Amino acid sequence: MLAVFWRALHVGPYVTSLGGIVMDVTLLKITAVFYLLATGSFVIYLVLLRDLFPRLSPLLLLGGFLAHTAALGVHFFQSGGYPAVTQFREALSLYSWLMVAVYLLVQLKYRVTVLGCFVAPLAFLMTLGAFASGAGIGELPAGLKTYWLPVHVTLAFLGNAVFALAFAVSLMYLLQEYQVKNKKTTVLQKRFPSLERLDRLNYIFLVWGFPLMTLGIISGSILARVQWGNYWSWDPRQITSAITWLLYGGLLQGRAAAGWRGRKAALLTIVGFAVVLGYFLWGGSVFPSRHRGTFE
Amino acid sequence: MREEKILIVGLNHDTAPVEVRERVAFDRTVLTESLRRLRSLPSVEEGVILSTCNRVEVVAASADEEAAFREIRNFLAEQESVKGQRGLEGHLYEYSGDPAVRHLFRVAASLDSMVVGEPQILGQLKEYYVAAHEAGTIGAILHRLFHRSFSVAKRVRTETAIGSGAVSVGSVAVDLAKQIFDPLDDKSVMLIGAGETGGLVARQLQRAGVSSLMVTNRTFERAVELADQFRGTPLRFEDFHRYLKIADLVVGCTSSPEALLQRETVEKVLKERKHKPMFFIDLGDPRNFDPRINELGDVYLYNIDDLKGIAQQNLQERSNEAQKAEEIVDEEVAGFLRWLDSLDQVPTIVALRQKMEEIRRGELEKSLSTSLKGLSEKERQALEDMTSAMVSKILHAPITRLKKQSEEQDEAFYIDALKKLFDLEEK
Repeated sequence: MLAVFWRALHVGPYVTSLGGIVMDVTLLKITAVFYLLATGSFVIYLVLLRDLFPRLSPLLLLGGFLAHTAALGVHFFQSGGYPAVTQFREALSLYSWLMVAVYLLVQLKYRVTVLGCFVAPLAFLMTLGAFASGAGIGELPAGLKTYWLPVHVTLAFLGNAVFALAFAVSLMYLLQEYQVKNKKTTVLQKRFPSLERLDRLNYIFLVWGFPLMTLGIISGSILARVQWGNYWSWDPRQITSAITWLLYGGLLQGRAAAGWRGRKAALLTIVGFAVVLGYFLWGGSVFPSRHRGTFE
Repeated sequence: MREEKILIVGLNHDTAPVEVRERVAFDRTVLTESLRRLRSLPSVEEGVILSTCNRVEVVAASADEEAAFREIRNFLAEQESVKGQRGLEGHLYEYSGDPAVRHLFRVAASLDSMVVGEPQILGQLKEYYVAAHEAGTIGAILHRLFHRSFSVAKRVRTETAIGSGAVSVGSVAVDLAKQIFDPLDDKSVMLIGAGETGGLVARQLQRAGVSSLMVTNRTFERAVELADQFRGTPLRFEDFHRYLKIADLVVGCTSSPEALLQRETVEKVLKERKHKPMFFIDLGDPRNFDPRINELGDVYLYNIDDLKGIAQQNLQERSNEAQKAEEIVDEEVAGFLRWLDSLDQVPTIVALRQKMEEIRRGELEKSLSTSLKGLSEKERQALEDMTSAMVSKILHAPITRLKKQSEEQDEAFYIDALKKLFDLEEK
């Protein structure tokens, strides 16, 4: 992994040949370094049960976030004021930035430091992925130069970022539940929040993530109308979104009405996120979508 | 070497049974007086008394080790005889010098505690230190010794995991409850039976924040009695099933031959609760709760053996950590002894003179080779004499004072201050 990181830091000549994007690549490097440091600090917090300095880990992540914000800002202006998500790397970068933002807000309000142990390495790997998959600013198709694009991208990504955290707390829930149920004690147990708290966080993330996702889908279908002529056209991307939306909607309803909670809620959250993630990573090549940009 | 030595005479949970410890224990209300009595012993120059339920110790600084040991032994024996009986022989331990320092550091770091790693001892140590400080029975040596011991304890706590992991049945139960519930203060506990361990666990849970408690027992009078004791609500034994749906934690501690709760019952209760999690703690012998209860979702069942097993495991972990802690103590003892040795007055005086002479010579040479370059040999000599005289006059008062002080108890304080003020710490 270090080798990859090293290579990523040494894309120098290639990058400089592209002139204009030197600045945001440098900023992105700084971001990656911060995310890596944060990852180390969170691992020490989790496994060695030691706080280097009580609030260091989230602060390192914040440092990375600020550098990341600057990088994205530069990129934003270079791409002509539209969120540049036509390339995989751009999408990764934007998504990890939103995820870190959501985590930092959650940390501010709910103090779930342990969640950073999930967010920091993921943010680091995504930033790394952004390097590994090349550089440059993608060309935006003329038809997408509408204000619905930034709205759609922001909402959809934000919703997914919140669900990533819901996914993380659900995983933690299952782990913690397994440990308590089977009377196993591990080092993880000491840092994990209680089952009740993890369950409540799952609910909070759902409540925030679901409306965002809903709006993301609505704005997406408006874009689809602009681009493809129809709000709904049975595109695989639309179908997976709909499945996840139904899953989360059902879970939210089940929680409110039938008292679904705990293990069941955690499992459903994981399945819902897996559908999205699975399509991002593999589904696209099996069921190609007309959905331009990002994960193609 | 300086003459004053650090001495410790005392007894603890290892060397003396609780009856003896109780007899020697110092009364907190007359502690100042006891401290003054200790200080008035002819050979004791500084003294601190430490008295907890697991140990009674006198920490002292004295120039006459033998005499001080004898006096402190008598002091403790008197303390005991006040309460009627005699016979401390065989219960007391005595340390002086290096081992005494090590002992106090180990006590502070909770390495000498009955439950290794328990956190109370450091607070107690601080309390007794403050008491001695206020009574004026403490000087530079013990002052430094105790402060050092506090930082040793802190180091041990941050650098090792000695205090982590619950080691009693009650605290293990609380830890588990905290892994399931958060917050605890809106949860309620149902205590079934009057067993002693059950009461212990209930009390610990209450201390951890659980506010509502229901108590039931086969004889209702006993339930009322217990409810009174725990400020809970008594339930009739025939009725307790009906209240299960509002209990988040259920503690069973009866000796009932057949199980009080079956899986099916709990399953029903769970539905009524909309699957809000439940934590069952079975302290009964034979088992009070059907073990199959643990198969249900959102329900966690631990029995007394599980709890004991976890406590045992944590204790084992603590003793592994204790090994690391001992190394820290070794390091700190060596550091402290170096400081103690350095308090000797002769080398301090020599160092002070040397420092002054260095300054004088340095400045003189600088001037003579620059602004005062043209001076004659005679003038140079005069300047030399003058500066030398200045230095010795400046040093005269502090050095005489220091030599005189060596007969008084504050010597260490002055030497320490001198070293700090003139930056005389050896390189």
